[in-house]
Amino acid sequence: MTFYKRFLIVFICGIVQIFFAGYSALILFSFNIDWHINNHLFMFIPGILIFVSSGVLTASYYLGDKKANNILYDEYTAIRYYKIAAAGYALNGVGIFILFSIQDWANWNFQNANNMIYQIAAFAWLIFGVLLTIFSIGDYKEHKNG
Amino acid sequence: MGKNHQNLLNNLEELRKSAGLTQQDLSESAEVSRKSINAIENGIYVPSTVLALKIAKTLKCKVEDIFKLPK
Repeated sequence: MTFYKRFLIVFICGIVQIFFAGYSALILFSFNIDWHINNHLFMFIPGILIFVSSGVLTASYYLGDKKANNILYDEYTAIRYYKIAAAGYALNGVGIFILFSIQDWANWNFQNANNMIYQIAAFAWLIFGVLLTIFSIGDYKEHKNG
Repeated sequence: MGKNHQNLLNNLEELRKSAGLTQQDLSESAEVSRKSINAIENGIYVPSTVLALKIAKTLKCKVEDIFKLPK
């Protein structure tokens, strides 16, 4: 594993999550989109991508070259990751609060509740994609110039 | 003292250069990325005890020679 390979893996994952989560969020917030993605592709592509990517990164961490891993997974990178994850928690907290606030509580029913749960899921998924993308770009830029 | 973190003053860049090492050399010896060394030198990041000791060992000095608490 190298910084560039990790950048590619995490960046592609992030962009794909943003695309599918963004599409999902637009549908759930009733925006009219002229084109449609099949339901099975909707979850299968980002899901399998995350699964495979996580597997590759985990394998490289446990089975890869120790010298390379000391550099790739050092404590500064870990702190960077924690900071970005903390920002993700904060954004998700604010987002969920807003999503709760904009619901039609006067006409509450199971369909609205179901829709809200999907909205929260799509939002959290979108944040996850954005964080992956930010992490990958920042990590690689720091490696090149930092 | 170089560029410093608010909680830790450091003299790393000066000591590294006087030892004739590049950031890359020091990072390889201390088993971290070059950007970590750069972040420490620029006061962006405070290293762990283990990393501070590895850096001191490479530079053949005491940790206190590299890092100091602000007064």
